[in-house]
Amino acid sequence: MAALLVIEGLTKRFRGLVANSDVSFALAAGELRCIIGPNGAGKTTFISMISGHVIPTSGRILFKDRDITRLPVHVRARIGIGRKFQTPTVFDNLSVYENIELAVLATPTPRRGRHAKIMRTLDLVRLADHSGQTVGALAHGARQWLEVGILLAGEAQLLLLDEPTAGMTAEETHSTGELIRRLVRELSLSAIIIEHDINFIRDLKAPVTVLHLGRVLVEGSFAEIERNEQVRSVYLGNA
Amino acid sequence: MTAESQPARRGLFGGFRREDLAALVVFLLLAAVPLAISGYVVYILPQYMLLGVLAMSLALLWGYGGIVSFGQAAFFAIGAYAMGLAMKHLIGLPINSAYLGILIGTIGAGLVALLIGYFLFSAGVRAAYFVVATLALSIVVEQTVKSFSDITGGWNGLYVDRMTLTLGSMFELSLFDDAPIYYVVLAVVVPVYIVVAALMRGRFGKIVIGIRENEDRMTALGFNVPLYKTLVFGLSGLLAGVAGAFYATHAQFAHPVNAGVLFSTQVVIWVAIGGRHSLLGAFVGAIVVAALSNYLSSIEAIQSYWPLVMGLIFIAVIVLFRRGLAGLVESLAGKGPHGRVAGH
Ligand SMILES: Nc1ncnc2c1ncn2[C@@H]1O[C@H](COP(=O)(O)OP(=O)(O)O)[C@@H](O)[C@H]1O
Ligand SMILES: [Mg+2]
Repeated sequence: MAALLVIEGLTKRFRGLVANSDVSFALAAGELRCIIGPNGAGKTTFISMISGHVIPTSGRILFKDRDITRLPVHVRARIGIGRKFQTPTVFDNLSVYENIELAVLATPTPRRGRHAKIMRTLDLVRLADHSGQTVGALAHGARQWLEVGILLAGEAQLLLLDEPTAGMTAEETHSTGELIRRLVRELSLSAIIIEHDINFIRDLKAPVTVLHLGRVLVEGSFAEIERNEQVRSVYLGNA
Repeated sequence: MTAESQPARRGLFGGFRREDLAALVVFLLLAAVPLAISGYVVYILPQYMLLGVLAMSLALLWGYGGIVSFGQAAFFAIGAYAMGLAMKHLIGLPINSAYLGILIGTIGAGLVALLIGYFLFSAGVRAAYFVVATLALSIVVEQTVKSFSDITGGWNGLYVDRMTLTLGSMFELSLFDDAPIYYVVLAVVVPVYIVVAALMRGRFGKIVIGIRENEDRMTALGFNVPLYKTLVFGLSGLLAGVAGAFYATHAQFAHPVNAGVLFSTQVVIWVAIGGRHSLLGAFVGAIVVAALSNYLSSIEAIQSYWPLVMGLIFIAVIVLFRRGLAGLVESLAGKGPHGRVAGH
Protein backbone atom coordinates (compact mmCIF):
# COMPACT_ATOMS: atom_id res chain seq x y z
CA MET A 1 0.00 0.00 0.00
CA ALA A 2 1.21 3.47 -0.85
CA ALA A 3 2.04 5.79 2.01
CA LEU A 4 -0.65 8.41 2.59
CA LEU A 5 1.21 10.27 5.28
CA VAL A 6 4.97 10.44 5.74
CA ILE A 7 6.55 12.30 8.62
CA GLU A 8 10.27 12.92 8.79
CA GLY A 9 12.18 14.09 11.85
CA LEU A 10 9.37 16.16 13.33
CA THR A 11 10.37 18.31 16.30
CA LYS A 12 8.33 20.83 18.24
CA ARG A 13 9.70 23.01 21.00
CA PHE A 14 7.45 25.22 23.11
CA ARG A 15 9.99 27.70 24.41
CA GLY A 16 12.29 25.39 26.36
CA LEU A 17 10.00 22.39 26.39
CA VAL A 18 10.47 19.72 23.74
CA ALA A 19 6.97 18.34 23.06
CA ASN A 20 7.99 16.23 20.04
CA SER A 21 11.53 15.25 19.21
CA ASP A 22 12.67 13.83 15.86
CA VAL A 23 9.50 11.83 15.28
CA SER A 24 9.38 9.85 12.05
CA PHE A 25 6.22 8.07 11.08
CA ALA A 26 4.39 6.61 8.10
CA LEU A 27 0.78 5.71 7.54
CA ALA A 28 -0.46 3.68 4.58
CA ALA A 29 -3.68 4.52 2.75
CA GLY A 30 -6.49 2.64 4.47
CA GLU A 31 -4.44 2.08 7.62
CA LEU A 32 -5.69 2.45 11.16
CA ARG A 33 -3.07 3.40 13.75
CA CYS A 34 -3.25 3.84 17.46
CA ILE A 35 -1.05 6.25 19.37
CA ILE A 36 -0.58 5.73 23.06
CA GLY A 37 1.65 7.23 25.70
CA PRO A 38 1.45 8.73 29.16
CA ASN A 39 0.00 12.19 29.72
CA GLY A 40 2.25 14.88 28.34
CA ALA A 41 3.99 12.44 25.97
CA GLY A 42 3.28 14.75 23.06
CA LYS A 43 0.39 12.88 21.39
CA THR A 44 -1.88 15.90 20.94
CA THR A 45 1.04 18.01 19.76
CA PHE A 46 1.85 15.34 17.18
CA ILE A 47 -1.59 15.31 15.56
CA SER A 48 -1.80 19.10 15.88
CA MET A 49 1.20 19.31 13.61
CA ILE A 50 -0.56 17.06 11.09
CA SER A 51 -3.77 19.11 11.24
CA GLY A 52 -1.90 22.42 11.10
CA HIS A 53 -2.85 23.73 14.53
CA VAL A 54 0.80 23.60 15.57
CA ILE A 55 3.64 24.42 13.19
CA PRO A 56 6.71 22.24 13.77
CA THR A 57 10.05 23.68 14.78
CA SER A 58 11.71 21.36 12.26
CA GLY A 59 10.95 18.30 10.18
CA ARG A 60 8.61 17.56 7.26
CA ILE A 61 5.07 16.31 6.80
CA LEU A 62 4.04 14.83 3.45
CA PHE A 63 0.39 14.05 2.74
CA LYS A 64 -0.30 12.31 -0.58
CA ASP A 65 3.29 13.20 -1.55
CA ARG A 66 2.64 16.89 -0.98
CA ASP A 67 4.64 18.87 1.57
CA ILE A 68 2.03 20.26 3.96
CA THR A 69 4.37 21.18 6.84
CA ARG A 70 3.40 24.83 6.85
CA LEU A 71 -0.04 24.89 5.25
CA PRO A 72 -2.85 26.58 7.22
CA VAL A 73 -5.47 24.42 8.94
CA HIS A 74 -8.32 25.11 6.52
CA VAL A 75 -6.25 24.20 3.47
CA ARG A 76 -5.25 20.87 5.03
CA ALA A 77 -8.89 20.22 5.84
CA ARG A 78 -9.79 20.79 2.20
CA ILE A 79 -7.28 18.22 0.97
CA GLY A 80 -8.75 15.59 3.27
CA ILE A 81 -7.34 15.91 6.78
CA GLY A 82 -10.12 15.85 9.37
CA ARG A 83 -9.50 16.41 13.05
CA LYS A 84 -11.56 15.47 16.06
CA PHE A 85 -10.46 17.44 19.10
CA GLN A 86 -9.81 16.14 22.59
CA THR A 87 -12.73 18.25 23.83
CA PRO A 88 -15.56 17.77 21.31
CA THR A 89 -15.67 20.75 18.98
CA VAL A 90 -19.16 20.89 17.50
CA PHE A 91 -21.90 23.51 17.08
CA ASP A 92 -23.68 23.24 20.44
CA ASN A 93 -26.48 25.70 19.62
CA LEU A 94 -27.36 24.10 16.30
CA SER A 95 -29.26 20.89 15.64
CA VAL A 96 -27.57 17.61 14.80
CA TYR A 97 -28.77 18.01 11.23
CA GLU A 98 -27.38 21.52 10.95
CA ASN A 99 -24.02 20.38 12.31
CA ILE A 100 -23.69 17.84 9.54
CA GLU A 101 -25.07 20.29 7.00
CA LEU A 102 -22.27 22.76 7.72
CA ALA A 103 -19.76 19.99 7.12
CA VAL A 104 -21.45 19.16 3.81
CA LEU A 105 -21.30 22.85 2.84
CA ALA A 106 -17.52 22.59 3.10
CA THR A 107 -17.56 20.09 0.24
CA PRO A 108 -18.49 20.68 -3.40
CA THR A 109 -21.74 18.70 -3.00
CA PRO A 110 -24.42 20.23 -5.25
CA ARG A 111 -27.44 21.69 -3.47
CA ARG A 112 -29.75 18.85 -4.54
CA GLY A 113 -27.46 16.19 -3.14
CA ARG A 114 -26.99 17.77 0.29
CA HIS A 115 -29.99 16.44 2.16
CA ALA A 116 -29.35 12.85 1.08
CA LYS A 117 -25.71 13.13 2.06
CA ILE A 118 -26.60 14.54 5.48
CA MET A 119 -29.05 11.70 6.12
CA ARG A 120 -26.55 9.10 4.94
CA THR A 121 -23.96 10.47 7.34
CA LEU A 122 -26.46 10.56 10.20
CA ASP A 123 -27.22 6.90 9.51
CA LEU A 124 -23.53 6.01 9.53
CA VAL A 125 -22.99 7.51 12.99
CA ARG A 126 -26.44 6.35 14.17
CA LEU A 127 -27.76 9.81 14.92
CA ALA A 128 -30.61 9.86 12.39
CA ASP A 129 -33.16 9.67 15.20
CA HIS A 130 -31.68 12.76 16.82
CA SER A 131 -31.40 14.93 13.73
CA GLY A 132 -33.68 17.69 15.04
CA GLN A 133 -32.15 17.77 18.50
CA THR A 134 -29.98 20.64 19.69
CA VAL A 135 -26.44 19.33 20.10
CA GLY A 136 -25.86 20.92 23.49
CA ALA A 137 -28.50 18.57 24.91
CA LEU A 138 -26.94 15.39 23.51
CA ALA A 139 -25.27 12.79 25.71
CA HIS A 140 -21.50 12.91 25.81
CA GLY A 141 -21.04 9.81 23.66
CA ALA A 142 -23.42 11.10 20.99
CA ARG A 143 -21.48 14.36 20.76
CA GLN A 144 -18.29 12.42 20.11
CA TRP A 145 -20.04 10.47 17.36
CA LEU A 146 -21.43 13.64 15.90
CA GLU A 147 -17.93 15.04 15.59
CA VAL A 148 -16.87 11.88 13.76
CA GLY A 149 -19.93 12.36 11.52
CA ILE A 150 -18.83 15.93 10.83
CA LEU A 151 -15.46 14.64 9.63
CA LEU A 152 -17.14 12.06 7.38
CA ALA A 153 -19.56 14.58 5.89
CA GLY A 154 -16.61 16.91 5.32
CA GLU A 155 -15.07 14.16 3.19
CA ALA A 156 -11.98 13.69 5.31
CA GLN A 157 -9.73 10.87 4.11
CA LEU A 158 -7.41 10.91 7.08
CA LEU A 159 -9.16 11.03 10.45
CA LEU A 160 -7.16 12.37 13.38
CA LEU A 161 -9.07 11.32 16.48
CA ASP A 162 -7.87 12.69 19.80
CA GLU A 163 -9.28 10.49 22.58
CA PRO A 164 -12.60 9.76 20.86
CA THR A 165 -13.91 7.68 23.77
CA ALA A 166 -13.15 10.15 26.56
CA GLY A 167 -16.08 10.23 28.96
CA MET A 168 -17.81 7.20 27.46
CA THR A 169 -19.21 4.17 29.25
CA ALA A 170 -17.53 0.82 28.58
CA GLU A 171 -20.35 -0.10 26.23
CA GLU A 172 -20.15 3.16 24.29
CA THR A 173 -16.39 2.78 24.09
CA HIS A 174 -16.82 -0.66 22.60
CA SER A 175 -19.32 0.44 19.95
CA THR A 176 -17.14 3.45 19.10
CA GLY A 177 -14.33 1.02 18.33
CA GLU A 178 -16.65 -0.99 16.11
CA LEU A 179 -17.82 2.18 14.37
CA ILE A 180 -14.32 3.39 13.63
CA ARG A 181 -13.20 0.01 12.30
CA ARG A 182 -16.28 -0.23 10.12
CA LEU A 183 -15.87 3.30 8.75
CA VAL A 184 -12.22 2.81 7.92
CA ARG A 185 -13.02 -0.44 6.17
CA GLU A 186 -16.19 0.54 4.31
CA LEU A 187 -15.23 4.06 3.31
CA SER A 188 -11.53 3.16 2.81
CA LEU A 189 -10.40 5.91 5.16
CA SER A 190 -7.23 6.14 7.20
CA ALA A 191 -7.17 7.07 10.85
CA ILE A 192 -4.79 7.95 13.64
CA ILE A 193 -6.36 7.44 17.04
CA ILE A 194 -5.00 8.64 20.36
CA GLU A 195 -6.35 6.46 23.14
CA HIS A 196 -5.89 5.44 26.75
CA ASP A 197 -8.46 2.68 27.12
CA ILE A 198 -6.57 -0.61 26.92
CA ASN A 199 -9.61 -2.67 25.94
CA PHE A 200 -10.45 -0.27 23.14
CA ILE A 201 -6.91 -0.45 21.79
CA ARG A 202 -6.89 -4.24 21.94
CA ASP A 203 -10.23 -4.41 20.09
CA LEU A 204 -9.03 -2.13 17.31
CA LYS A 205 -6.48 -4.76 16.24
CA ALA A 206 -4.41 -1.95 14.77
CA PRO A 207 -0.67 -1.26 14.90
CA VAL A 208 0.33 0.86 17.88
CA THR A 209 2.89 3.66 18.14
CA VAL A 210 4.03 4.49 21.65
CA LEU A 211 5.16 8.04 22.34
CA HIS A 212 7.17 8.85 25.43
CA LEU A 213 8.75 12.20 26.29
CA GLY A 214 8.07 13.37 22.74
CA ARG A 215 9.85 10.46 21.08
CA VAL A 216 8.69 7.26 19.44
CA LEU A 217 9.46 4.62 22.03
CA VAL A 218 8.34 1.62 20.02
CA GLU A 219 5.96 0.62 17.24
CA GLY A 220 4.26 -2.74 16.70
CA SER A 221 1.17 -4.85 17.07
CA PHE A 222 -0.84 -4.66 20.26
CA ALA A 223 0.56 -8.02 21.40
CA GLU A 224 4.13 -6.85 20.88
CA ILE A 225 3.49 -3.58 22.69
CA GLU A 226 1.83 -5.36 25.58
CA ARG A 227 4.89 -7.57 26.06
CA ASN A 228 7.43 -4.78 25.62
CA GLU A 229 9.51 -4.17 28.77
CA GLN A 230 10.14 -0.49 28.03
CA VAL A 231 6.45 0.18 27.56
CA ARG A 232 5.62 -1.62 30.76
CA SER A 233 8.12 0.38 32.75
CA VAL A 234 6.89 3.68 31.25
CA TYR A 235 3.31 2.90 32.19
CA LEU A 236 4.11 1.41 35.56
CA GLY A 237 6.37 4.36 36.29
CA ASN A 238 3.49 6.70 35.56
CA ALA A 239 0.67 4.70 37.08
CA MET B 1 -35.75 11.12 5.52
CA THR B 2 -36.89 10.78 9.09
CA ALA B 3 -39.71 12.68 10.69
CA GLU B 4 -37.27 14.52 12.94
CA SER B 5 -35.34 15.86 10.01
CA GLN B 6 -38.25 18.00 8.97
CA PRO B 7 -38.39 20.57 11.76
CA ALA B 8 -34.62 20.78 11.62
CA ARG B 9 -34.79 21.60 7.94
CA ARG B 10 -37.57 24.11 8.16
CA GLY B 11 -36.20 25.88 11.19
CA LEU B 12 -32.79 25.72 9.65
CA PHE B 13 -30.63 28.48 11.02
CA GLY B 14 -33.69 30.40 12.08
CA GLY B 15 -35.06 30.47 8.56
CA PHE B 16 -38.48 31.46 10.01
CA ARG B 17 -40.37 31.21 6.73
CA ARG B 18 -43.23 33.14 8.26
CA GLU B 19 -40.86 36.06 8.04
CA ASP B 20 -41.45 36.08 4.28
CA LEU B 21 -45.13 36.65 4.89
CA ALA B 22 -44.39 39.31 7.48
CA ALA B 23 -42.05 41.06 5.04
CA LEU B 24 -44.74 40.99 2.35
CA VAL B 25 -47.22 42.61 4.73
CA VAL B 26 -44.72 45.27 5.81
CA PHE B 27 -43.80 46.18 2.26
CA LEU B 28 -47.43 46.23 1.07
CA LEU B 29 -48.29 48.54 3.94
CA LEU B 30 -45.39 50.79 3.07
CA ALA B 31 -46.49 50.82 -0.58
CA ALA B 32 -50.01 51.82 0.45
CA VAL B 33 -49.03 54.73 2.69
CA PRO B 34 -48.78 57.46 0.01
CA LEU B 35 -52.15 56.31 -1.42
CA ALA B 36 -53.86 56.73 1.93
CA ILE B 37 -52.20 59.79 3.37
CA SER B 38 -50.07 62.71 2.33
CA GLY B 39 -47.90 65.25 4.02
CA TYR B 40 -45.15 64.79 6.57
CA VAL B 41 -45.43 61.01 6.85
CA VAL B 42 -44.91 60.53 3.12
CA TYR B 43 -42.00 62.93 3.32
CA ILE B 44 -40.24 61.29 6.27
CA LEU B 45 -40.91 57.55 5.84
CA PRO B 46 -38.33 56.98 3.08
CA GLN B 47 -35.64 58.32 5.41
CA TYR B 48 -36.73 55.85 8.07
CA MET B 49 -36.74 53.05 5.52
CA LEU B 50 -33.15 53.91 4.63
CA LEU B 51 -32.26 53.88 8.31
CA GLY B 52 -33.92 50.46 8.23
CA VAL B 53 -31.47 49.36 5.54
CA LEU B 54 -28.66 50.72 7.72
CA ALA B 55 -30.04 48.60 10.56
CA MET B 56 -30.12 45.53 8.31
CA SER B 57 -26.47 46.16 7.47
CA LEU B 58 -25.68 45.73 11.16
CA ALA B 59 -28.11 42.85 11.72
CA LEU B 60 -26.43 40.66 9.14
CA LEU B 61 -23.08 41.33 10.77
CA TRP B 62 -24.17 41.13 14.39
CA GLY B 63 -27.10 38.72 14.36
CA TYR B 64 -25.68 36.28 11.84
CA GLY B 65 -21.95 36.77 12.28
CA GLY B 66 -21.85 37.65 15.96
CA ILE B 67 -19.66 40.64 15.08
CA VAL B 68 -20.71 43.98 16.57
CA SER B 69 -19.76 47.13 14.74
CA PHE B 70 -19.86 50.71 15.96
CA GLY B 71 -18.73 51.83 12.54
CA GLN B 72 -21.95 51.59 10.53
CA ALA B 73 -22.36 55.38 10.54
CA ALA B 74 -18.96 55.72 8.89
CA PHE B 75 -20.10 53.66 5.88
CA PHE B 76 -23.44 55.48 5.81
CA ALA B 77 -21.55 58.79 5.72
CA ILE B 78 -19.25 57.56 2.96
CA GLY B 79 -22.36 56.83 0.90
CA ALA B 80 -23.96 60.15 1.79
CA TYR B 81 -20.94 62.35 1.07
CA ALA B 82 -20.10 60.44 -2.11
CA MET B 83 -23.64 61.14 -3.29
CA GLY B 84 -23.48 64.82 -2.36
CA LEU B 85 -20.05 65.42 -3.84
CA ALA B 86 -20.78 63.48 -7.02
CA MET B 87 -23.99 65.41 -7.62
CA LYS B 88 -22.15 68.66 -7.05
CA HIS B 89 -18.98 68.04 -8.99
CA LEU B 90 -19.49 65.24 -11.49
CA ILE B 91 -21.83 67.22 -13.70
CA GLY B 92 -21.78 67.67 -17.45
CA LEU B 93 -20.88 64.02 -17.97
CA PRO B 94 -22.91 61.79 -20.27
CA ILE B 95 -24.02 59.82 -17.20
CA ASN B 96 -26.40 60.97 -14.47
CA SER B 97 -24.27 62.32 -11.61
CA ALA B 98 -26.67 60.86 -9.03
CA TYR B 99 -26.11 57.39 -10.47
CA LEU B 100 -22.38 57.94 -10.19
CA GLY B 101 -22.85 59.08 -6.61
CA ILE B 102 -24.84 55.96 -5.72
CA LEU B 103 -22.27 53.76 -7.43
CA ILE B 104 -19.25 55.43 -5.84
CA GLY B 105 -20.89 55.67 -2.42
CA THR B 106 -21.96 52.05 -2.39
CA ILE B 107 -18.82 50.53 -3.83
CA GLY B 108 -16.62 52.94 -1.88
CA ALA B 109 -18.24 52.04 1.45
CA GLY B 110 -18.06 48.35 0.56
CA LEU B 111 -14.39 48.58 -0.37
CA VAL B 112 -13.45 50.48 2.77
CA ALA B 113 -15.21 47.79 4.80
CA LEU B 114 -13.49 45.01 2.85
CA LEU B 115 -10.10 46.61 3.38
CA ILE B 116 -10.59 47.15 7.11
CA GLY B 117 -12.08 43.69 7.47
CA TYR B 118 -9.20 42.15 5.60
CA PHE B 119 -6.56 43.72 7.81
CA LEU B 120 -8.34 43.07 11.08
CA PHE B 121 -9.70 39.60 10.42
CA SER B 122 -6.68 38.12 8.69
CA ALA B 123 -4.63 39.32 11.66
CA GLY B 124 -7.09 37.33 13.78
CA VAL B 125 -8.18 40.19 16.04
CA ARG B 126 -10.50 39.42 18.91
CA ALA B 127 -14.11 40.61 18.84
CA ALA B 128 -13.52 43.29 21.48
CA TYR B 129 -10.63 44.75 19.56
CA PHE B 130 -12.71 44.77 16.40
CA VAL B 131 -15.42 46.80 18.14
CA VAL B 132 -12.82 49.36 19.17
CA ALA B 133 -11.49 49.53 15.61
CA THR B 134 -14.98 50.20 14.20
CA LEU B 135 -15.52 52.85 16.88
CA ALA B 136 -12.28 54.50 15.79
CA LEU B 137 -13.47 54.37 12.18
CA SER B 138 -16.60 56.35 13.08
CA ILE B 139 -14.47 58.96 14.79
CA VAL B 140 -12.02 59.17 11.90
CA VAL B 141 -14.75 59.65 9.30
CA GLU B 142 -16.57 62.21 11.45
CA GLN B 143 -13.36 64.18 12.02
CA THR B 144 -12.45 63.97 8.35
CA VAL B 145 -15.71 65.45 7.13
CA LYS B 146 -15.46 68.13 9.80
CA SER B 147 -11.88 69.04 8.93
CA PHE B 148 -12.12 69.25 5.17
CA SER B 149 -14.85 71.86 5.38
CA ASP B 150 -13.89 73.41 2.01
CA ILE B 151 -15.09 70.25 0.35
CA THR B 152 -17.61 68.81 2.81
CA GLY B 153 -19.09 71.93 4.34
CA GLY B 154 -17.76 70.96 7.77
CA TRP B 155 -20.22 71.40 10.62
CA ASN B 156 -22.71 73.11 8.33
CA GLY B 157 -23.09 69.91 6.40
CA LEU B 158 -23.23 69.48 2.67
CA TYR B 159 -26.29 70.50 0.70
CA VAL B 160 -27.42 67.71 -1.65
CA ASP B 161 -29.93 68.03 -4.46
CA ARG B 162 -32.85 65.73 -4.93
CA MET B 163 -31.81 63.40 -7.71
CA THR B 164 -33.54 63.05 -11.07
CA LEU B 165 -34.31 59.65 -12.47
CA THR B 166 -33.12 59.33 -16.07
CA LEU B 167 -32.91 56.68 -18.71
CA GLY B 168 -30.57 57.95 -21.40
CA SER B 169 -32.31 60.90 -23.04
CA MET B 170 -35.61 59.07 -23.40
CA PHE B 171 -36.91 59.37 -19.89
CA GLU B 172 -36.59 61.86 -17.09
CA LEU B 173 -38.39 62.02 -13.75
CA SER B 174 -37.63 64.58 -11.08
CA LEU B 175 -37.73 63.19 -7.56
CA PHE B 176 -38.26 66.59 -6.07
CA ASP B 177 -41.76 65.74 -4.89
CA ASP B 178 -42.27 63.41 -1.97
CA ALA B 179 -44.36 60.69 -3.61
CA PRO B 180 -42.01 59.85 -6.53
CA ILE B 181 -38.94 59.61 -4.29
CA TYR B 182 -40.96 57.61 -1.78
CA TYR B 183 -41.56 54.91 -4.39
CA VAL B 184 -38.02 55.05 -5.72
CA VAL B 185 -36.68 54.47 -2.21
CA LEU B 186 -39.17 51.64 -1.69
CA ALA B 187 -38.11 50.16 -5.04
CA VAL B 188 -34.54 50.12 -3.77
CA VAL B 189 -35.29 48.85 -0.26
CA VAL B 190 -37.45 45.88 -1.27
CA PRO B 191 -34.96 44.21 -3.66
CA VAL B 192 -32.14 44.92 -1.21
CA TYR B 193 -34.10 43.10 1.48
CA ILE B 194 -34.98 40.19 -0.82
CA VAL B 195 -31.43 39.69 -2.04
CA VAL B 196 -29.83 39.98 1.39
CA ALA B 197 -32.46 37.72 3.00
CA ALA B 198 -31.93 35.08 0.31
CA LEU B 199 -28.17 35.32 0.66
CA MET B 200 -28.27 34.93 4.42
CA ARG B 201 -30.67 32.02 4.16
CA GLY B 202 -28.45 30.20 1.70
CA ARG B 203 -24.97 28.73 1.88
CA PHE B 204 -23.27 32.03 2.67
CA GLY B 205 -25.55 32.85 5.60
CA LYS B 206 -25.22 29.35 7.04
CA ILE B 207 -21.46 29.57 6.90
CA VAL B 208 -21.54 32.94 8.64
CA ILE B 209 -23.75 31.45 11.37
CA GLY B 210 -21.37 28.50 11.65
CA ILE B 211 -18.51 30.93 12.23
CA ARG B 212 -20.52 32.71 14.91
CA GLU B 213 -21.20 29.37 16.59
CA ASN B 214 -17.76 27.78 16.41
CA GLU B 215 -14.86 29.29 14.55
CA ASP B 216 -12.44 26.48 15.33
CA ARG B 217 -14.77 23.86 13.93
CA MET B 218 -15.39 25.88 10.77
CA THR B 219 -11.64 26.27 10.20
CA ALA B 220 -11.06 22.57 10.83
CA LEU B 221 -13.78 21.86 8.25
CA GLY B 222 -11.87 23.80 5.63
CA PHE B 223 -13.59 27.17 5.67
CA ASN B 224 -11.40 30.24 5.36
CA VAL B 225 -12.89 32.02 8.37
CA PRO B 226 -11.16 35.41 7.97
CA LEU B 227 -12.28 35.51 4.34
CA TYR B 228 -15.94 34.98 5.23
CA LYS B 229 -15.77 37.53 8.03
CA THR B 230 -14.23 40.01 5.63
CA LEU B 231 -16.94 39.33 3.05
CA VAL B 232 -19.80 39.76 5.51
CA PHE B 233 -18.27 42.99 6.80
CA GLY B 234 -17.81 44.19 3.22
CA LEU B 235 -21.44 43.42 2.45
CA SER B 236 -22.47 45.23 5.59
CA GLY B 237 -20.46 48.31 4.58
CA LEU B 238 -21.94 48.19 1.09
CA LEU B 239 -25.50 48.16 2.43
CA ALA B 240 -24.81 51.03 4.80
CA GLY B 241 -23.31 52.90 1.82
CA VAL B 242 -26.45 52.46 -0.34
CA ALA B 243 -28.59 53.65 2.52
CA GLY B 244 -26.39 56.72 3.01
CA ALA B 245 -26.38 57.66 -0.67
CA PHE B 246 -30.17 57.63 -0.97
CA TYR B 247 -30.59 59.23 2.44
CA ALA B 248 -28.46 62.20 1.39
CA THR B 249 -30.47 62.95 -1.72
CA HIS B 250 -33.74 62.48 0.14
CA ALA B 251 -32.85 64.55 3.21
CA GLN B 252 -30.99 66.96 0.92
CA PHE B 253 -27.95 67.06 3.13
CA ALA B 254 -25.00 65.06 4.34
CA HIS B 255 -23.91 65.92 7.84
CA PRO B 256 -21.09 64.92 10.23
CA VAL B 257 -23.61 63.73 12.83
CA ASN B 258 -24.47 60.92 10.43
CA ALA B 259 -20.84 59.78 10.57
CA GLY B 260 -20.21 59.74 14.28
CA VAL B 261 -20.08 57.32 17.18
CA LEU B 262 -23.41 58.53 18.52
CA PHE B 263 -25.21 57.70 15.29
CA SER B 264 -23.43 54.33 15.11
CA THR B 265 -24.64 53.63 18.63
CA GLN B 266 -28.20 54.45 17.61
CA VAL B 267 -27.95 51.84 14.88
CA VAL B 268 -26.89 49.28 17.48
CA ILE B 269 -29.91 50.25 19.60
CA TRP B 270 -32.39 49.96 16.71
CA VAL B 271 -31.07 46.53 15.87
CA ALA B 272 -31.12 45.36 19.48
CA ILE B 273 -34.72 46.52 19.80
CA GLY B 274 -35.86 45.16 16.44
CA GLY B 275 -34.06 41.86 16.88
CA ARG B 276 -30.59 41.27 15.55
CA HIS B 277 -31.33 37.76 14.30
CA SER B 278 -33.96 39.02 11.91
CA LEU B 279 -33.27 41.33 8.98
CA LEU B 280 -36.93 42.32 8.90
CA GLY B 281 -36.93 42.88 12.67
CA ALA B 282 -33.96 45.22 12.36
CA PHE B 283 -35.59 47.05 9.45
CA VAL B 284 -38.88 47.56 11.27
CA GLY B 285 -37.08 48.28 14.55
CA ALA B 286 -35.21 51.16 12.96
CA ILE B 287 -38.37 52.63 11.46
CA VAL B 288 -40.33 52.37 14.71
CA VAL B 289 -37.60 53.67 16.98
CA ALA B 290 -36.57 56.47 14.62
CA ALA B 291 -40.20 57.56 14.23
CA LEU B 292 -40.90 57.33 17.94
CA SER B 293 -37.73 59.14 18.79
CA ASN B 294 -38.52 61.89 16.30
CA TYR B 295 -42.05 62.25 17.67
CA LEU B 296 -41.21 62.15 21.36
CA SER B 297 -38.27 64.51 21.06
CA SER B 298 -40.59 67.06 19.47
CA ILE B 299 -42.78 67.11 22.59
CA GLU B 300 -41.38 69.87 24.70
CA ALA B 301 -42.12 68.33 28.09
CA ILE B 302 -39.92 65.32 27.55
CA GLN B 303 -37.50 66.74 25.04
CA SER B 304 -34.57 66.92 27.41
CA TYR B 305 -35.24 63.51 28.93
CA TRP B 306 -35.54 61.78 25.60
CA PRO B 307 -32.05 60.25 25.47
CA LEU B 308 -32.67 58.88 28.96
CA VAL B 309 -36.04 57.40 27.94
CA MET B 310 -34.39 55.88 24.91
CA GLY B 311 -31.67 54.35 27.07
CA LEU B 312 -34.24 52.85 29.44
CA ILE B 313 -36.23 51.33 26.57
CA PHE B 314 -33.01 49.87 25.25
CA ILE B 315 -32.13 48.29 28.59
CA ALA B 316 -35.68 47.00 29.05
CA VAL B 317 -35.67 45.31 25.65
CA ILE B 318 -32.25 43.77 26.22
CA VAL B 319 -33.32 42.42 29.60
CA LEU B 320 -36.88 41.34 28.75
CA PHE B 321 -36.58 40.14 25.17
CA ARG B 322 -33.06 39.32 24.23
CA ARG B 323 -34.18 38.61 20.69
CA GLY B 324 -35.85 41.96 20.26
CA LEU B 325 -39.27 42.66 18.77
CA ALA B 326 -38.76 40.00 16.11
CA GLY B 327 -38.18 37.42 18.85
CA LEU B 328 -41.29 38.62 20.66
CA VAL B 329 -43.40 38.30 17.52
CA GLU B 330 -41.99 34.83 16.89
CA SER B 331 -42.88 33.60 20.35
CA LEU B 332 -46.34 35.18 20.14
CA ALA B 333 -46.79 33.43 16.80
CA GLY B 334 -46.15 30.16 18.60
CA LYS B 335 -42.61 29.46 17.53
CA GLY B 336 -40.68 29.69 20.74
CA PRO B 337 -37.25 31.25 20.60
CA HIS B 338 -35.13 28.20 19.94
CA GLY B 339 -31.65 28.19 21.30
CA ARG B 340 -30.13 27.56 17.94
CA VAL B 341 -30.67 31.00 16.55
CA ALA B 342 -30.51 32.72 19.87
CA GLY B 343 -26.98 31.50 20.44
CA HIS B 344 -24.23 33.89 19.68
N1 LIG C 1 0.61 25.32 23.16
C1 LIG C 1 1.51 24.85 24.06
N2 LIG C 1 2.37 25.69 24.67
C2 LIG C 1 3.28 25.24 25.56
N3 LIG C 1 3.40 23.95 25.92
C3 LIG C 1 2.58 23.06 25.34
C4 LIG C 1 1.58 23.46 24.39
N4 LIG C 1 0.90 22.36 23.98
C5 LIG C 1 1.45 21.32 24.66
N5 LIG C 1 2.45 21.74 25.48
C6 LIG C 1 3.28 20.87 26.33
O1 LIG C 1 3.83 19.86 25.52
C7 LIG C 1 3.82 18.62 26.19
C8 LIG C 1 3.05 17.59 25.40
O2 LIG C 1 1.67 17.91 25.46
P1 LIG C 1 0.55 17.13 24.65
O3 LIG C 1 0.97 17.04 23.23
O4 LIG C 1 -0.75 17.79 24.92
O5 LIG C 1 0.61 15.71 25.34
P2 LIG C 1 -0.45 14.52 25.38
O6 LIG C 1 -1.53 14.81 24.40
O7 LIG C 1 0.35 13.32 25.03
O8 LIG C 1 -0.96 14.43 26.77
C9 LIG C 1 3.22 18.87 27.58
O9 LIG C 1 4.28 19.07 28.49
C10 LIG C 1 2.46 20.15 27.37
O10 LIG C 1 2.37 20.90 28.57
MG1 LIG D 1 -3.64 15.07 24.62
